[in-house]
Formats: sequence, C-alpha cells, structure tokens
Amino acid sequence: MSDVTLAAPPTPSALPEQPVSAHDANSLISMRDIWKTYEMGSEQVHALHGVSFDIPKGEYIAIIGPSGSGKSTLMNLIGCLDTPSKGEYWLNAKNVSLMDDDELARIRNQEVGFVFQTFNLLARATALHNVELPLIYGGIGSSQRHEMAKEALRAVDLSDRITHRPNELSGGQRQRVAIARALVNHPSILLADEPTGALDTHTSMEIMDLFERLHGEGNTIIVVTHEHDIAERAHRVISIRDGLIEKDEKIR
Amino acid sequence: MKFIETLKLAIAAIWAHKLRSALTLLGMIIGVTAFVVVVSLIQGFNKYIDEKIAGIGSKSFTVQRFNFEDFKDLDTIAAAQRRNKELTLDDYEYLKARATLIDKIGAKARASRALVKRGTKIAEDVPVDGAMPVIADIDNIDVAEGRYITEAENDSAMRVAFIGVDVATALFPAGSTSAIGEEINVAGLPYRIIGIAVAKGTVFGVPQDNFITLPLKTYGNNFGGFTRNRLLYFEATSKTDDTFKDAVDEARFLLRSRRHIKSDEKDNFGIVTPDAITGFRDRLLGPTYIVAIAVPGIALLVGAIVIMNIMLVSVTERTKEIGIRKSLGARRVDVLKQFLVEAVTLSAIGGAVGVLLAWIVGMIMTAIFFPTYLSLGAILFTIFVSGGIGIISGVFPAWKAARLDPIEALRAD
Repeated sequence: MSDVTLAAPPTPSALPEQPVSAHDANSLISMRDIWKTYEMGSEQVHALHGVSFDIPKGEYIAIIGPSGSGKSTLMNLIGCLDTPSKGEYWLNAKNVSLMDDDELARIRNQEVGFVFQTFNLLARATALHNVELPLIYGGIGSSQRHEMAKEALRAVDLSDRITHRPNELSGGQRQRVAIARALVNHPSILLADEPTGALDTHTSMEIMDLFERLHGEGNTIIVVTHEHDIAERAHRVISIRDGLIEKDEKIR
Repeated sequence: MKFIETLKLAIAAIWAHKLRSALTLLGMIIGVTAFVVVVSLIQGFNKYIDEKIAGIGSKSFTVQRFNFEDFKDLDTIAAAQRRNKELTLDDYEYLKARATLIDKIGAKARASRALVKRGTKIAEDVPVDGAMPVIADIDNIDVAEGRYITEAENDSAMRVAFIGVDVATALFPAGSTSAIGEEINVAGLPYRIIGIAVAKGTVFGVPQDNFITLPLKTYGNNFGGFTRNRLLYFEATSKTDDTFKDAVDEARFLLRSRRHIKSDEKDNFGIVTPDAITGFRDRLLGPTYIVAIAVPGIALLVGAIVIMNIMLVSVTERTKEIGIRKSLGARRVDVLKQFLVEAVTLSAIGGAVGVLLAWIVGMIMTAIFFPTYLSLGAILFTIFVSGGIGIISGVFPAWKAARLDPIEALRAD
C-alpha cells in the first residue's frame, strides 16, 4: 500500500504527538487508540481511526468538528451508548470498552449525565418526574428520590416549575430540566450534545453561563458542538476531522 | 427498577390513552364475559344437581328397572325393555327381609298425569304418584301443613293425598279455609288432603310444587297397577356412611340371585347412586362443556392478538421514549418489564371488567330463569388466564422494545 492517499488511515505510530500508552490512572477519561467501524453493505466505513486522549477530573472540554467528522460517534462512545470496534476506553478506572449492554446501562446511569440538543424530556411527565428518571433506574426509594430531584431542580433555578410538563416550559427551561436530570445522580461527566442547538442566542448564553457555574462547582463537562463560540467557552478544545484528532489545545 | 415503579408506569401509560386502551380491551372483555357466563351457567347447573342430591340424602340409592346406560340410544333402550323385568312389591319384600346393610327402604311408583277438581276449580295434568310412608324420611320431605302418609293409610289403601303448594293454590284460592281435611277429586275419585309440602319454587322453568302423592297401595289400586309408566322403584339408605357402597353391592347381589342372573351376565335392573348421577351428568354434558368453553376461548384469542398488535404499535410510537430511558440507565430487562407489565396490566383490567360484567349477567339470569353460580376459584382462574394472555401478547413487543439500540432509538421522532 502506498501512503499517497490522504484518506488512508495513518497508523498510530505515525503520530508521535498522540502516543499509545497504558491508560492514565489519574484521568477520569482515558481513550486509547479508539476505532469505530461501521458496515455499510459490503463496505467498511471508519468513523474513528485510532483516537487517543485523556480528560482529568474537573475539566471543561469542548469537542468540535463539522458534521461527518466523527464527533457524534465519539460522543456516543464517551456516553457509553456504544462500544468501540477497537481500542480501550477507561472511565473512572473502569474499562468500558469490554462491557456488555447491561453494564453499559449501569455506567450511563451512574457515571454519565446526558444533555441533548432536543432536550429529550418525557412529554407526559412533570419536570420533577423527568429529573427522577435516572434515580428510578438507580433503584433509589421514592422519598429520597423526590428530595434529590427537587435539589437538582433548585440548582438550575426551577424550584417553582417542578409540577410543569415540558410543553408548559420555555426552551431554556426545558434544557435546564434536562441539565437537572443529567446532574441528579452526581455523575462523573456531564456530556452535552449541541446543548444550545435548539435555543436562541440569549437563552444559549444563559445555558452556557449555567455550564460555567456547574464547572466552577467541580463538575467535569464535555460539550460536543460545531459552533465555535460555544466551544470557546470551554477550557480545552479537541477538534475532530475525518475521524481523527486534528487539534487538542488548552485555550484557558 | 422496583416492580411498583414499573406498575405505576404501566398504569400511567394505559391511563394516558384511555380510549385506545378501552377499545383494545373490547375483544378481551367480550371474550372474558362470554367465558365466565358459560362457566357460571355450568357451575350453576352442577351446583343445582349437587344440592338436589344432597336433598335426596347423599347416602341413599335407588333400585329401578332401567340403568342410565340403557338410555344411550334407541337400540339399548329396546334391548333393556326386553331384558329388564319390572320391579314388584315381592322384590321389595325380598330386599327388605334379607338386606343387612340397608337402614330404611321404601317403594315408590312413577307418576301419571291426572285431572284434579274441587267444585268448579280445575287443575290439569297434575303429576300423581304413590309412595310408602317411609319415603318421607328417605327423601327428607318437609311438611308445611298437616302430615305425610301413615302406615295405616297405606295398608288399607285409603283415599288420602299429600299435595304440593301449587295444587293447593290452584284449588283453594287465597283467603279461603285451610286445604287440610278438604276433599278433592283426582282422576274421578274423591281424596282427602292430609298434608301440604314446603314450597320449593321453580328450577329450570319446571315448577317443583305441582304434584300429588297418594299412598302407594291406593295409587296401585286406583291407577291400574305398577306397570307401563307407573313403574315401581325402591329408595334405600345405608346404615352408616362407610358401608354405603357395601349396602349397594348387597342389594345388587340379592336382586341378582333372586333373578338367577349368571355371573357373566349384566344386571337386568338398575341401581342409581349419587355418584352415578353426577357421573352420568358429566358424561352427558362433558362434550357440551368443552364446546361451550372453546367458543369464548376463540374470542379470548382474538382479544390477545388485538393486545399484541396495539403493544407493537405502542413500542413503535414510543421508540424515542425507550431511547431516552436507555440513555438514562434503563437496562434491557427494565424496558422488557415496562412493556410486559403494561400488557399484563391491560389484559388483567380486561379480565376484571369481563368478570364483573359476567357477574352482573349471571345475577340477571339467575333472577329470570336459570340458576348460575360463580365460584371464587373460577374468578381467580379467569384473572390468571387474562394475565397469561397479557404475557403471551406482550412478550414479543416487549422483547422488540428491549433490544432497541439506544442510539437508533434516540434518533427516532
């Protein structure tokens, strides 16, 4: 094979700035040579070609890249919605890449708080019930659950909206319910996928201010976005292109 | 996830689509209602016969000309008519003198229909039969007014009559003098009324209080002897419950030896025990029951298919919800349970509503014409079956939901 074609995936050894080593025990997240390959008919499509990085606890990080760059795939892997085709993913000193469906569900429940672009709240449930959902799957009893959910809603300034259903709330309020839901189980990471994609500029800034505050309180936050002004609010930006890390820089 | 949470979730989901849930359950409810009505009719009929047997005295048996088996078809009836001799009073005396295990034995004769008159009052087609005084004890006859037949009345063939309430009311209008001691005309001869039986009401549309019983001898003398439709039969009780079977065997043995039946030949008489009655009932109605239960069973099957279909629609509709739940930590088994419990709850509600409707229908039927009876066991069984239908119709949709990929599911609209 010649190495003239750019599309050919470079081997990890060709990138000395991304050394493959044993996972860093001090990191919250440790990705080592992560590959994700999809079968599209007879063809194999590589969404990620050997990605490696570490995220220490308490970091505020943005993953940025155009659509088709592989950032959604990476987000699904970080969020334990999927497992890599190859490589190791250590989350909180657990090797997630070897886990089965039920173990992944447990990790999502305990370690990951998702915030989605379209909020993904249950339409028929109240704000309080939506926030309680992860606790229900965590097996926490109803009175303790109520207290924890109310506390989480208080933390996002929605104490006066706990009995409202999503359709009775504004977009910003819905996203704050979603953030409360993501935080209620005190996860290791808050993983936000285009969290302001469905919001106007003013509300977007409010949500980003909230992220900043939550980071200040010690939460590890990962924001996946294609918007530069959103990414610039983070302290570190990882740029993804064509399934590879193009740039990984501290900006603050 | 705790079961109570799953159940709450299921009820909330059913409640959120009230109309759809109700329509989904329609087939189920109709099936369950039909099923339970049929079961309560069968149980009512069985209970009626059991009570009837208990009324006769469960430890009594009847010796008569024909056996139940003789009524299988026309050929067996004809054969039995040739073979089986009529019972006589001499047979009765023979059994009474020799049987050691029989406590009481009495003879009766089958009823004829007769015209009964008192002055201008007429009762047509009244069943008239004859009985020995001891029958009052064997049949547990309850006397409302007056008394039953005495030995003296039977021995000297006196023209006295023990009557049912319907006959009394037909001949003696309300408010008039007591019927006791009054004279009535039965098939052309005068009889004095000595007693009236306690009313029993109507069963299966047949009045139980329209009868006249005469002393056996009187009946034989005045109605043309114990032949044709006035066949003699004996009713007997055993000395103890434990020796009941032995008493029956003894009576059979005595009658066989009196009639010189060889050991390889069948009885040429019939002995009817309570077991034989229930056994005959079960043989006669068994196939009917199966058909009667199978038809509503088809409705239940259709109901199950409807539930499965709606659950499949529900899974498709709620793909996004499943994705959200999975992203928040729901395991496969949590999702499976959610949809399975929903299907089971749905069909259990259908079962409960069906049972309730059937119970109301049963009450109405009992009030109008037919005794029905619904045992707790049948209710529990039906609800259990309904739950089973829920599992069967819910397991495939629930399995489909459980194995959804969370990423795909989250992408759904």
